[in-house]
Parts: sequence; C-alpha cells; structure tokens
Amino acid sequence: MVVAAEEKELKRLETQVENGGGGAWDYLCLVRKLKARCSHNVLKFGLPILKDPNSRSKLGSDEWTLYEQVAIAAMDCQQLEVAKDCLKSLCKKFPESTRVARLECMLLEAKGSWAEAENAYARLLEDNPLDQAIHKRKAAIAKAQGNISSAIECLNKYLEIFMADHDAWRELAEIYVSLQMYKQAAFCYEELILSQPTVPLYHLAYAEVLYTLGGLENLQMAKKYYASTIDLTGGKNTRALFGICLCSVAIGQLTKGRNKDEKEASELPSLAATALMKEYKERAPDKLPLLTSTVKSMKLFS
Amino acid sequence: MAMGIGFTIGIFGGLVLTHAAYATVQYRGVLKIVDEEFSGLPIIVVAELILGLCLCFWAALTVPGKFLSILPDSEENRPVALPANLDFMIFNHRGKAVNSLTNDKTS
Repeated sequence: MVVAAEEKELKRLETQVENGGGGAWDYLCLVRKLKARCSHNVLKFGLPILKDPNSRSKLGSDEWTLYEQVAIAAMDCQQLEVAKDCLKSLCKKFPESTRVARLECMLLEAKGSWAEAENAYARLLEDNPLDQAIHKRKAAIAKAQGNISSAIECLNKYLEIFMADHDAWRELAEIYVSLQMYKQAAFCYEELILSQPTVPLYHLAYAEVLYTLGGLENLQMAKKYYASTIDLTGGKNTRALFGICLCSVAIGQLTKGRNKDEKEASELPSLAATALMKEYKERAPDKLPLLTSTVKSMKLFS
Repeated sequence: MAMGIGFTIGIFGGLVLTHAAYATVQYRGVLKIVDEEFSGLPIIVVAELILGLCLCFWAALTVPGKFLSILPDSEENRPVALPANLDFMIFNHRGKAVNSLTNDKTS
C-alpha cells in the first residue's frame, strides 16, 4: 500500500535525481518497496549505476537486485538489448536459478513470442509445480494476448490453490470489472476486504461495484462501504464523499412514494456534502460554485 | 542542532542524577557520624532527583528522533494508492510505440 508520506518522498527523490542531486539508489529502493511501476525512471537512473563498475561494486550483493529491477524496467520500456545484457550477467552469477529463468521467459514475453514463453513456463512448472510467480505469469500472458476468458480461467484455477493471494484476487476483480461482470467482481472484492480489512481502497472499490450494480439493497450496502472508507481514511477520500451523496440520492429516488415512514433520518449525506464543500474551498476554490450547484440539485440539505 | 541541545541536556540530567547519588552517600556518612537514624532524604536531594529525571526523560524523548504517527488515517499514513500489480505486468502497451519514437530521436 502506498501511503501519502511515501508518495511524497518518491516524488521528492525523483526530482532530486532528475536535477542531478544524487540519491538514485534511494529512489530505486523506494520504487521497489512501493512496487511502483515507473520503468522509464528506473531505467534512466539504474542503468548508469550498473554501467559504472565503481558505484556498482559499492552496492555489494544488492547489485543483483538492481540488475533484476533494471532488466524488468527495460522490458517494460521495450529496450530489449539492455534487458538481454542484464540477464546475461544474472545468468553468469546464478546459472541454476528459477528466478533468472523466469526473467528470461519474461523477455520472451516482451518480444511477443507467446508460444515460446508459454512452453518455457510449462517447463519451469514441471520442476516446481507450485511456483506462484510462474502461475501468475501464465495468467498475464493470456491477458496480454487479449485472451481474457482464459486469463480468468487461469486465475480461478490459481486462486483455488492459493486463496490467500490478494494480488491475484485484485487482478481478477479488475479483469471482471473491465468485462462489466460486476457480480463476480463484487465477490472478489469481498475476498479482498476479508483478507485486508484495513485497506480503505478495497472498501471503496467494493462500494463502487455495488453502486454500479444498482438496486435498493446494493445501494444501501454501497453507502455503508463508502461510509467505512470515510471512516478508514479520516474523511480524506473525496471519491467516497461523492459516493455517499450519490448513493443517498439514488436511494431517495428508489424509495420515493412508497413507505415514507421508513425514511432514513440520517444526516450522513448532508455531512458528506459539507465535508466536500470544505475540501473544495481549501483545495480548489474555483470549482466551488460548480460543486455547490450540484449539491443543491441533489437536494441533500433538507 | 536540536539534537545537540537535547544531547547536552541529557548529559546534564545524568550529571544531576549522579550528584544526587553522591549527595545521598554523603548524607548517610554524616548521619553515621552524628549517630542518627536514617529516616528520609533531605528535600534538596529529592528535588535534584526529580529535576534529573525530568531532564533525562526529555532528552530520551527528543534525541532519537520524532514520533511517527500510528493512526491509519493520519495525514502521513493515509493510503493513497494501491501498488502496481507487478506480478501481472504485461508488456504490450503503448510504451512500445513511445519508445520506438524516442529511440529514433536519440540514435
């Protein structure tokens, strides 16, 4: 999970390195820690370290981690020659390693030779049939080829064995959302919330899927999950605040006319709207009239 | 700079405590000479002890660094994004086209 302070630090380090202030290695470490995908920067800052034997030897055994990081970044930037060079050094150092073999397969993927890559992965799986990373790569290959249904099948098979892998659940959820299969996506997000109940972003994503599904019950659930997002983020999540407003408007429209006595006498939406106004006033005063008119049209303030 | 001050105050607090210990030993010695029972410390030594304790406390809390926030919704700890799902990264994206453009420029 990327927290606000670390994100700020990453940006600071990036500008620092870019302006020649040093700290490239710190930047690369932070990128690894946050699992950020800034491949062009990793390539730009990491390659000079690898090319300079002096600074490379200073890293000690971390050198090989850097080789791996730069290799993957180079594949991501389609600098296949660079990736090949990195892999050559890694191969020399660790000739028997599966991790290096997996990188070689990824190079095949980056080249676009899917069949070869798949064969190579199958061979690796023969030696070690429970290698999680390789199973995940297989799903990724299917996705890269545009074969979404087989990617889903692959992921489902994988998740039957490794149910605790939340990254895979998240990937599956995102694939389902991209296919507009919201019910299945909602199930995945439920799993994610179960495994990591303190991550507000999963609550938010679940609420959004429920809101998209529609229907009174789902909308009420969505409202609850938006509320829990606000609870977990201390009211800093603008999206969740908007979600509360929209949910209560939608619920109001659905329940209009029938059973008026069961009207939810909750002040949650008006509180959310007030929080939104306050935040807009602080951070984007020029957009405030827009928000005010929207909130007015939603009739949140009774 | 602030750390230097804290460090000095910490050392000073330690000195005050040692002085209190020394004063206690002295006091007991005097009591033995005048042949009286030891009933309690003189008020000045107690005050010295409290002062030394406070100074040491203060130094111990400031010198090692600032306290980090442990609240999950505090300004620093607020999660802003999920990490990129790197295990599932795929390479056939628009970076391919962008990169061939930049390569032409550099070579």
